Amino acid sequence: MTGMAGGGGRGSSRRAAAGKEGGRSRSAQPRAAGGGGSGGGSEEEEQEQQRDGGSLFLVNKSGFPMDGQTWERMWGHVERVHPDGSAVAAAIRSATRLARPSVPPVPNYKLSMSIPEWLQAIQTYMKMLQYNHTGTQFFEIRKTRPLSGLMETAKEMTRESLPIKCLEAVILGIYLTNGQPSVERFPISFKTHFSGNYFHHVVLGIYCNGRYGSLGMSRRSDLMDKPLTYRTLSDLIFDFEDSYKKYLHSVKKVKIGLYVPHEPHSFQPIEWKQLVLNVSKMMRTEVRKELEKFARDMRMKILKPSSAHSPMKERSRGKSLSPRRRQGSPQRRACRRDKSPAVLDKKGDLATLNEVGYQLRI
Amino acid sequence: MGAVWVGPGSPGDPPRVAAMDPGTGPRKERPKPREPAARLEKAKQRSAQQELKQRQRAEIYALNRVMTELEQQQFDSFCKQMQGSGE
Repeated sequence: MTGMAGGGGRGSSRRAAAGKEGGRSRSAQPRAAGGGGSGGGSEEEEQEQQRDGGSLFLVNKSGFPMDGQTWERMWGHVERVHPDGSAVAAAIRSATRLARPSVPPVPNYKLSMSIPEWLQAIQTYMKMLQYNHTGTQFFEIRKTRPLSGLMETAKEMTRESLPIKCLEAVILGIYLTNGQPSVERFPISFKTHFSGNYFHHVVLGIYCNGRYGSLGMSRRSDLMDKPLTYRTLSDLIFDFEDSYKKYLHSVKKVKIGLYVPHEPHSFQPIEWKQLVLNVSKMMRTEVRKELEKFARDMRMKILKPSSAHSPMKERSRGKSLSPRRRQGSPQRRACRRDKSPAVLDKKGDLATLNEVGYQLRI
Repeated sequence: MGAVWVGPGSPGDPPRVAAMDPGTGPRKERPKPREPAARLEKAKQRSAQQELKQRQRAEIYALNRVMTELEQQQFDSFCKQMQGSGE
């Protein structure tokens, strides 16, 4: 990633890669006729290169095998961010023999398995795929796509067996838990702040038999899977919040989605943010109250997607769509939460705290 | 990582033999020069793509190992810096 993420403050100019083949890897062959790249226009590249936490966010949209342009872009990024980027790239790309990584078997549910065991098997599988640190996301996930399309992408993930990031893990988790009607799945998104930048992360919340937990992938082991032991949704969310504090991230927003239908061919999109809470402006008791109200509504299955009612908009302190809620309830004043002493989001502290501009990413 | 490759089915299935049309009278030798060649070409392309995918996957995992180590080093160094500034 360019900019502030790692690399010890290296410049963004690309160095020429060393190597016998002029820096080109043995795998940078052009694709067969018919498999084109994206045209390579700079405008397209700009659209692809979004930013997350101040760093570039590269996505492979060329399928598999990846086309030459995407492939070179991946390596170009590595050369920019790694202190020995050129040497690393050359060593791998020109290696005549590379170890063939094993393909982890896709977990199969057996009747003898308990639900926690099944979830553990799924999480283990994701961990074997590994968290993707390369800087290029290999599977394109458009969050507004119908569920059926996203499930096709999940199948592709199991076929191609490559490292994944948090959003891919959510889609894969949905795919692998389909067909277990007692297991409800719902997305949980976090927007956090660290060192002058905002970060986004998502996990797959799980509700089963009166308990909450999660599946997911993250750079940080305590910001991904959680056991199915939390008695309330608030307990789960607060656990995530406490984990974030350890990494000096202050949670600004939490977004909870609706239960994802179990039909893999559903044309409905996933509802990602049925409830949006500006937690940094709320007391913990308020957050708990809103979460529990929402969780109850979800369990009673009386919620309809927010996108079906009105254009998606942020609802501070989460007005659920429960019919029991009174219309025009009095506006509550946004209360400031106690600031954690570990939250250091003043720029003045950054110079002493973070001399190399390291972005503690999640 | 282990060196055992467990991948999808082998590419390049042998070309199928086209069935002869029944009831066409005296059998005539029909020249079929292009069809098997085209199929063979396609099979070669598929095989090449499969090899390319395998090679890319191997490079990706080798790269991911390096980048994971880098991230861990940077994180550890950041934590040490934090501890140092806190004392």
